[in-house]
Amino acid sequence: MEHHHLYDGGENDYMQQEDDWDRDLLLDPAWEKQQRKTFTAWCNSHLRKAGTQIENIEEDFRDGLKLMLLLEVISGERLAKPERGKMRVHKISNVNKALNFIASKGVKLVSIGAEEIVDGNAKMTLGMIWTIILRFAIQDISVEETSAKEGLLLWCQRKTAPYKNVNIQNFHISWKDGLGFCALIHRHRPELIDYGKLRKDDPMTNLNTAFDVAEKYLDIPKMLDAEDIVGTARPDEKAIMTYVSSFYHAFSGAQKAETAANRICKVLAVNQENEQLMEDYERLASDLLEWIRRTIPWLENRVPESTMHAMQQKLEDFRGYRRQHKPPKVQEKCQLEINFNTLQTKLRLSNRPAFMPSEGRMVSDISNAWGALEGAEKGYEEWLLNEIRRLERLDHLAEKFRQKAAIHEAWTEGKEGMLTKKDYEVASLSDIKALLKKHEAFESDLAAHQDRVEQIAAIAQELNELEYYDSPSVNARCQKICDQWDSLGAMTQKRSEALQKTEKLLETIDQLYLEFAKRAAPFNNWMEGAMEDLQDTFIVHTIEEIQGLSTAHEQFKATLPEADKERQAILGIHNEIAKIVQTYHVNMAGTNPYTTINPQEINAKWDKVRQLVPQRDQALIEEHARQQNNERLRRQFASQANIIGPWIQTKMEEIGRISIEMHGTLEDQLTHLRQYEKSIVNYKPKIDQLEGDHQQIQEALIFDNKHTNYTMEHIRVGWEQLLTTIARTINEIENQILTRDAKGISQEQLSEFRASFNHFDRVSTAHSNTLHSAQSKQHDVCACSRTRTSWDHSGTLGAEEFKACLISLGFDIANDAQKRTGMMDGEDFHTCLISMGYNMGEAEFARIMSIVDPNRLGVVTFQAFIDFMSRETADTDTADQVMASFKVLAGDKNYILAEELRRELPPDQAEYCIARMAPYTGPDAVPGALDYMSFSTALYGESDL
Amino acid sequence: GSRTMSTYTVELLGPAPWGFRLQGGKDFNMPLAISRLTDIGKAAKAGVGVGDLVLSIDRVNTEEMNHLEAQNKIKACTGNLHLTLQSVSLYY
Repeated sequence: MEHHHLYDGGENDYMQQEDDWDRDLLLDPAWEKQQRKTFTAWCNSHLRKAGTQIENIEEDFRDGLKLMLLLEVISGERLAKPERGKMRVHKISNVNKALNFIASKGVKLVSIGAEEIVDGNAKMTLGMIWTIILRFAIQDISVEETSAKEGLLLWCQRKTAPYKNVNIQNFHISWKDGLGFCALIHRHRPELIDYGKLRKDDPMTNLNTAFDVAEKYLDIPKMLDAEDIVGTARPDEKAIMTYVSSFYHAFSGAQKAETAANRICKVLAVNQENEQLMEDYERLASDLLEWIRRTIPWLENRVPESTMHAMQQKLEDFRGYRRQHKPPKVQEKCQLEINFNTLQTKLRLSNRPAFMPSEGRMVSDISNAWGALEGAEKGYEEWLLNEIRRLERLDHLAEKFRQKAAIHEAWTEGKEGMLTKKDYEVASLSDIKALLKKHEAFESDLAAHQDRVEQIAAIAQELNELEYYDSPSVNARCQKICDQWDSLGAMTQKRSEALQKTEKLLETIDQLYLEFAKRAAPFNNWMEGAMEDLQDTFIVHTIEEIQGLSTAHEQFKATLPEADKERQAILGIHNEIAKIVQTYHVNMAGTNPYTTINPQEINAKWDKVRQLVPQRDQALIEEHARQQNNERLRRQFASQANIIGPWIQTKMEEIGRISIEMHGTLEDQLTHLRQYEKSIVNYKPKIDQLEGDHQQIQEALIFDNKHTNYTMEHIRVGWEQLLTTIARTINEIENQILTRDAKGISQEQLSEFRASFNHFDRVSTAHSNTLHSAQSKQHDVCACSRTRTSWDHSGTLGAEEFKACLISLGFDIANDAQKRTGMMDGEDFHTCLISMGYNMGEAEFARIMSIVDPNRLGVVTFQAFIDFMSRETADTDTADQVMASFKVLAGDKNYILAEELRRELPPDQAEYCIARMAPYTGPDAVPGALDYMSFSTALYGESDL
Repeated sequence: GSRTMSTYTVELLGPAPWGFRLQGGKDFNMPLAISRLTDIGKAAKAGVGVGDLVLSIDRVNTEEMNHLEAQNKIKACTGNLHLTLQSVSLYY
C-alpha cells in the first residue's frame, strides 16, 4: 500500500497546517460540514468547465475519474489516461494517478492513501481536496515573499486597509461580520455594493450580500453558508481560505496590475535603497576622508610643544584619539567596506551596473587614506614620548642651567665694583702688596670659576642643540654671563696691571724716599755738623790749632759748592717723587717713612750754614789773636813749673830713702826728717807764684801746655803729697818709737822685721812690676786725658794710685827705683813667717791672713806686718788683762754691777761699759749683774762662746 | 795660688756653750770669723772650721755688726743657734 502524506515534513508551513488540520478534525465536526460544503462548491466551480458536477464529495471522487478531471482543469495539464474499468483495482489506480500528479507538483501527501479515497473516507477525501486547493489555488499567492497563507492574509489586509471597520487578522473570526467580504468586493468593484449602507452588527445581511453579489457578478459560487459562519464561534479556517482565494483569483486582472506595481515598487525600492546606500557610502566616505584629512596633519604635526605640560596634554589628546575618537572611525571604515560590498552585491543581483564612487572616494582611496592615517599615527606616540623625554631632559638641563647661572651670578655680584675700585690710588706700598696678594687670591678664584662658566655655556649649547623652547632667554643669560666673564677677566687683567703699576710706582717712590733719606740724612748730618762746627767755640789751645781750624774752615768753604750740588741732587729726588705723584696720581698721603727730614728743613739749614760761614771767619780771626796771648802765658807757667816739679820729686826721693834705709836710730831719723820738713815749708812762696800764673792761664781758659809736663794740679798734689809724706814719715818714726817702747820690741827686732819685710818686698819684683805696669798704664790715660774738672771730681786718689800717677809723670820715687811696693803677697808672707821661725798649719796661716789682710787683697802692708809681728811677739792676752782689771773692780765677782762701774770709772767710760755689757747669766748672777768677761774679749774682737 | 770658698749652715743645739771663739767685727775692720774651737764642742762636732767666716747669726746678716753686737746676738740665743758660715782655705 502506498501512503501519501498531506505535507512534506521539510516545509514548515505544511507541517504546521497538518497539525492544525488534525486538531481541527478532532475538535470540531462542525468544520467538516463547512469544509464539505465549501470544497464541493470549489470543485464544482472548476468541474463545471468540463461540463460535469459532483453531488457528494466523498462518493463522487471514489472511482478517481472526476478527481483526475478536476486536476486536469485546474492545472491545465493532461493526466495519464484513466482506467475505464469499474473494478476496485481500477478505481485505486486512477486515484493513485491523481495522487501521483499532486506529488509531482512538489507536494508530499502524507497519510493519504488511494484506498481510503476509494473507500469513501470523508476525512481523507477532504484532506486531499484541501491539499489540492492549497497547491493550486493558494500557493501562488505570495505578496512580498511571504508564505501562501500569509500572502493571502496580507493581500486581504492590504485590500481592506482603507475600510476602517474591517480588521483582518486571520481566516476565521475576522470574517464573521461579513464586512471583510463586502470590503473586498467593494474595493475591486465598488459599483456592486453600497458599502456605506453596511453595518457591522448585521453579519447575516453582510454575508449574504457578499455571497450573492459574488455568485451573481463575479462568477464565484456560494461556498459558504451565512448561518454556519454566524452560528459557529470560530468558522473553519480552510473553508474561509478557500472562499477568499476564489475572490483573489476573481480579481486576478486587477491583481496583475498590482503585481506590476508591486514589482516596480520593488525595483524602485531596490534602486532607492541602492541610491541610499551609495549616498550613505559617499557621505560616510566623505566624512571619513574628511576626518582622515583633518586628522593626518594633526598626527603629522611634529612641532614640539615648548612645555612639558603642553606636551603631556598632547599625549593626553593622542590617548583620547586612540581610545575615543579613532575606534568609531575604525567601525565606520569597516561599515563602509561592508556597505560597499553589500551594495555591489545587491547591484549585481539586481542586474544593476557596479557602483562607481565619485572621484577620490573609492574604496582604494579610503584604504590609501586610512593607510596614510595609520602611517602618520605610527611613530606619533613614539615621537610624543621621545619629545616628553626630551622636554624632561630639557627641563632638567634648563633647571641645571638656571641653578648654575644663579650661583655664578651671585658670585659675580659685586665683583665688577670690586675690580673697578680705585683703592690702589690711595694705598700705601704695604697696602698695595696686600691688595696684590688679595688680587692674586681673586685670580685663583676667578680661574676656578672658568670651569663653571664653561659648564654653563655647555649646558646652554646643549639646550640649543636640543631646541629648548626658551633658548633665546637661556642664550641671552648665557651671553650675559659670558660677556660679564670676559669683562671680569679684562677688569682683572686691568686691575692686576694697575696694581702692579702702582706697586712699581710706589716702589719707585719708596726707592726715591730711601735714596732721599740716605742722602738727606748724611747731608743733614753734615749740615748740622757744619753748623755745629761753624758755631763751635774753638776749644783750641794753640796757634797751630787755630791755624789748623782756619785751614779746615777754608777747606770747608771749598766743599760748599759740592755740598750745594748734593743739596740740589737731594731736592731733585724730592722733586722726582712729586713729579711721579702728580703724573700718575698715586697716593702721597704718607710721608717719607725713612726720614723726618724735608726739603724745607734742608734749605733752612743750608741758609743757616751759609749765614754762619762769615761769622766763623770773624771768630777765627779773633781766636787767632787770643791764642797768641795764651802762648805767652803758657811759656811763663812752664818755665816755673819745670823748676818746681823736679824739686818736689827730688825731695820725695830723699824722704823715701830715709824711711827705707833706716840709718841710725829712730831718733836720728826723726831729726833728719824734721830738717827736711822745714826746707820744704820754706819753698811755699814759689808754689804761690806758680798759682798766680796758673790763675791767669785758667782765666784765659787754657787747658794744656806743651811746654811742660807739669800741670798745676800735679804740682799741687805733688806739693801736698810731699807735705803729707814728710809728715807721715815723721809720724811713722814716732809710732815706731811708741810701738818699740809700748810692746817692748827692741830696736833690733824692729830692724829685723823691717829687713825681712824689705827682703820679700825686694824679692817680689816680678809681681810689683806687673802691678806697677798695670797701674801705670791706667794712669797714663788718666793724666793725659783728664781735664782739671775731672781731677776735682775724682779728688781723693789712693796713695798707691797717686804713686803710680807720679811715676808716670816722671817722679822717680825711691822705693819704686828699688822695685819696692811696700807690700808682700800672701805667698811671700807665708814664706817670710816660716823664715822667721813660725811653723804653722794651713788653717793657722788662713787665720793669720784674715787678720793681716782683712780686705783679702792678697797682699800684706808693712804696717799690718808690724802690727801682726808685734802682737805675736808681745804680751798678747790683753783681753785677760782687761778681764783681770774688771775682776778687781768687781771685788773678785764673776760679774760687775752698774754702780760699781760708775763708782770706779769716769762717767763717760762707765756709761760706755753699762750700755754695752750684756746681762750676766751665770749661776751666781744677781739682778743687774753685767757680763764684764765677754765685754772684755769683745774689746779685742774676740769672744769665747 | 787659688782660693775656694763654700757657704754652709749649721744648727747648734742649745743652750750655750757653743764651743767656739768668735773674732772680728766691723769695729775691728775684720770679718767675723771662728778663731778657735773647743775640742768635742758643739761647733766642732757640727763640722765648723777654724778661720771660717760668720755670715749670719740666727739668719741676721753680720755685715754691719760690730763685735759686741755679734756676741750679744749669740748670747741672747736661748734655743738652737743657727749660723751661716763660709769656709776659707788657701791653696798655693
